[in-house]
Amino acid sequence: MSTTARERIFKTLIPAFLAGVLFIIPAAATAAEQVQQGAQLAWWVWMIILFVFTFMLGIIAVIAGVGGGVLFVPIVSSFFPFHIDFVRGAGLLVALSGALSAGSPLLRKGLANLKLALSMALIGSMSSIVGAMVGLAMPEKMVQLLLGLTIVFISFVMYRSKNSAYPNIENPDALSKALHIYGVYYDEHLKKDIDWQIHRTPTGLLLFIVIGFMAGMFGLGAGFANVPVFNLVLGAPLRVSVATSVFVLSINDTAAAWVYLHKGAVLPLIAVPSIAGMMLGTKIGAKLLTKVHTSVVRRAVIALLAVAGLRALLKSFGI
Amino acid sequence: MKEAVHANRVQLDYAAVLGVCSTIGMLFIAAGYLIYLSGFLPSAAPASEVAMHWHLKASEFHKAVQVPSGWNWVTDLGRGDVLSYASINYLALVTVICLSWIVPSFIREKDRIYTVMTILQVAVLLFAAAGIVSGGH
Repeated sequence: MSTTARERIFKTLIPAFLAGVLFIIPAAATAAEQVQQGAQLAWWVWMIILFVFTFMLGIIAVIAGVGGGVLFVPIVSSFFPFHIDFVRGAGLLVALSGALSAGSPLLRKGLANLKLALSMALIGSMSSIVGAMVGLAMPEKMVQLLLGLTIVFISFVMYRSKNSAYPNIENPDALSKALHIYGVYYDEHLKKDIDWQIHRTPTGLLLFIVIGFMAGMFGLGAGFANVPVFNLVLGAPLRVSVATSVFVLSINDTAAAWVYLHKGAVLPLIAVPSIAGMMLGTKIGAKLLTKVHTSVVRRAVIALLAVAGLRALLKSFGI
Repeated sequence: MKEAVHANRVQLDYAAVLGVCSTIGMLFIAAGYLIYLSGFLPSAAPASEVAMHWHLKASEFHKAVQVPSGWNWVTDLGRGDVLSYASINYLALVTVICLSWIVPSFIREKDRIYTVMTILQVAVLLFAAAGIVSGGH
């Protein structure tokens, strides 16, 4: 088969497959919910459904450029029979395992910046612990209400936000200079080295307190918030922001994960298939990334997030 | 222009230890779960019992089902579910191991600010891991 013919087949089949996945996820979730209300399913059937479900989430998450954790918690807590405590615990571990596997190559290439990450993560991890404790002490309906509001807000921010690939920061602030936060990375797109520095560091630190708190409270990987703060507030290049966000996430989610572990909100039976499904899905998604129109998938995922957020809101009102 | 590596020595040290630790973590998690589900080792609570109660809040769940939480599994490693839980605890320790690993690297570089910051970060994570604030076991 010629390369052009193969490319044509790819271009037709892959979007069709992804469209199918996006339709299957709500359909499968609704079916899961109906089964949940009706006959009791064997535990191992739930595990298979969870694995397949997170596998599909992993594929679309990476193509849409969102973290798996932010999709996992609202959707799984809405449609699966597990208590939201265990879903949040699993969500943190899904985000953490993804960050740990992606971290090494990003650091080696110099895309993730250790000093930038450490400066923000120290304060973020402390607020993440507090967020986890507050979140686990709250009644379920309150968590669903706040989660619903947060997810609807996130989908709105994702819909509106425009990244800046190469912000030009002329005057770095005094704190970033004192902390030696600057760097250089090789940009594969431009085929040249890019120097960068940041500004508004104190504002960034304050925002990372809020982000850490939310990540701990809801068990979300906080890439959706880390990246805009690094990129749009601090002025780090987009590629550095994405890579450093992964590194910050590994520290903040570790801190919160320990609170969930000590509060008994982590069940291996739920967490492990979620981690495995999401990791396999993201690997497949990464391979499909260059072959699909990512903006279309991204818009569909934002819509899916908004629906999951509204569903959490309705659940909080007992509807 | 040819691609150049711009990561500094400390960053490369972190990347190296993270690569090894995360690979071990994934293998450990897969092996622990397979042992748990296969019934190769007895479990503190069978999966079917866990499934009967997983709709409960974590605090109520642990009153009904005896499964590991926090560090209470350490003396009971011969059980399948405990092994699977231990693998998750290991995953939550990987960042602590990596950060501790780079403290000597920062000291060698005479980078006082980041030596202190990394030690503080390790202390925060150990504080959480010890369960001091979350009523750990």
